Amino acid sequence: MKLLAKTNRTYLLISAIAFIIAGLVIYFVLSFIFEDQLNEQLKSDIKGIKQSIEKDGKLPSYFPFIEVREVKGEERSFISIDTIIYYNSQKEIIPFRQISRVVSINGKTYFIAARDPLLGSVFVLLLVSLYFINRKLSINIWRPFYKTLDELKEFSHDKPGFRLSSVSNMDEFMELNKTLDKLTRKVITDYQALKRFTEDASHEIQTPLAVIQSKLETMLQYPDLKQEQAELINSAYTYSLRISKLTQTLLLLTKIANDQFPEKRAVYLSDLLIEKIEFFEDHIIGKSLILKKNIEPECYIDTNFFLADSLIINLMGNAVKHSMSNGLFNISLNRNYLEISNSGKPFSFPPEKLFDRFYKTDKSSDSPGLGLAIVKEICLLNKWEISYKYEDDLHKFIVTF
Amino acid sequence: MKILIIEDEKELVGTIKKFLESEGFLCETACTYNEAEDSLSVFSYDIIILDLTLPGGDGLDLINLIKERNRQAGLLIVSAKNSLDDKIKGLDMGADDYITKPFHLAELNSRIKSLVRRRHFDGTNELVFNEIRVNIDSGEVFINDSMIDLTRKEYEILLYLIVNKNKVITREAIAEHVWGDNISYSDNFDFIYSHIKNLRKKIEQKSGKDYLNNIYGIGYKFSEK
Repeated sequence: MKLLAKTNRTYLLISAIAFIIAGLVIYFVLSFIFEDQLNEQLKSDIKGIKQSIEKDGKLPSYFPFIEVREVKGEERSFISIDTIIYYNSQKEIIPFRQISRVVSINGKTYFIAARDPLLGSVFVLLLVSLYFINRKLSINIWRPFYKTLDELKEFSHDKPGFRLSSVSNMDEFMELNKTLDKLTRKVITDYQALKRFTEDASHEIQTPLAVIQSKLETMLQYPDLKQEQAELINSAYTYSLRISKLTQTLLLLTKIANDQFPEKRAVYLSDLLIEKIEFFEDHIIGKSLILKKNIEPECYIDTNFFLADSLIINLMGNAVKHSMSNGLFNISLNRNYLEISNSGKPFSFPPEKLFDRFYKTDKSSDSPGLGLAIVKEICLLNKWEISYKYEDDLHKFIVTF
Repeated sequence: MKILIIEDEKELVGTIKKFLESEGFLCETACTYNEAEDSLSVFSYDIIILDLTLPGGDGLDLINLIKERNRQAGLLIVSAKNSLDDKIKGLDMGADDYITKPFHLAELNSRIKSLVRRRHFDGTNELVFNEIRVNIDSGEVFINDSMIDLTRKEYEILLYLIVNKNKVITREAIAEHVWGDNISYSDNFDFIYSHIKNLRKKIEQKSGKDYLNNIYGIGYKFSEK
């Protein structure tokens, strides 16, 4: 709920209760006085009308305020009632107080009624006007707060020059701005430090890994290695490769998240897909996959080439890796979306987990489970939408541009 | 053939030097920016391997110096930064190739040999190993002067193994050379195996010898038995 609405609502509620109590008291007192006066007034009106009829015999009529008509019957004293009357000139039904009596004038009997409208809507009018006055006041008072809020919405951890500009002479807002300013600056510096750390750590890890790998490769060259020794060396070698690949992938994820791929150009996805189909040829033939492609030619998109390449490699690699032998492998592309699907059994886990980092469907796999996380980051950066659905025994991944 | 290795990690320099020397190259090393500057201003080299992250200066600055003093040299950039910026900048400034750390020694060797071939183009761009002849320009392979028909991947694997002849090349190095590092290596081992099998068959059909030796079940060595 908005703060303004909340204060308004509370204010209205309390005022309404106070108004109702005070109003009731005042209402009864006032209406007693008012009605008394009104009745007196109407009675004297009737007296006046009676005198005027006695004098010239004409029957005055100012509907709905004065009504005079001849009736049969006996004289009757004043009767006071409240009534509602459809008022023609205002086209609405209005409550009236009516005092009437039946009198005999010059041998004829007349019904004389004098009416005055009753005013009950003052209370509502008062509340409505108070609401608007309060709203206007609150908007003025809260303006610096909303300005700060708007500025904060623009805040991003990778804008080093971010400052809150709004100034207010109210202590609370000044305090709020100061605190927020400190907080955002801390977020920015912390973020920069973390970014530098991730990059530095990855670089620093790569060099020792390069040394280890080159030493192990050199060891494998010794001519009189025993089979057992070679296997030990190879095992160490394989795992060091895995670490280096893992750090490289994490570095890539960080870089995508940091938007460190500014170079954009028209990337022809159609050509890229055809190229990658050739790239995965071995996998497609090896698993006897049935490839169906529906690729609209000349489809291009303005983006970073490396990221587009990465996206396609990861989606297609994922599909060929997890599809069953003799299964379907479908690729369709047009200007609006790219869909890559493969045959497979439905997942036993919630599909949104697919895009989580380090989420593996096959725990024994030597891949770290970062491929789809990369796909998600690339889509996020490019403001594309990635979705997954299971349909007709197919795992479908759809990127909507 | 003289190579200058500019790299600050002494352990790595040692291993690279040994490996390249076993390939018949003459190697000199420089471990800092200043050492590299000194070497470059006095001697001339055929190939320079440059690590961009050097103590005492930016490796990119050295490219200008190399282009000034050693115009003829082939320049291979090495970086731990798998960053496209550096790669593009380096290639724009006149580097001939780029390799990311960590790399397979066989891959480094293959890149250097390719640079050497491009630099010293003497009529025919060919690799010969006994009865096998590979024409790199046309991508044709001949056994005893009769051509064999290879798929692109078979050709790439054969070329890679011949360039690194007499060395044990791991399956991982082959997988990365052929498929890149985008998909996990082990997924490709079966394909390597079947490509090698096909290669063997095609070479034997033209009565070529089998030089493709499986070593310890972990890799291959292209050599006479």
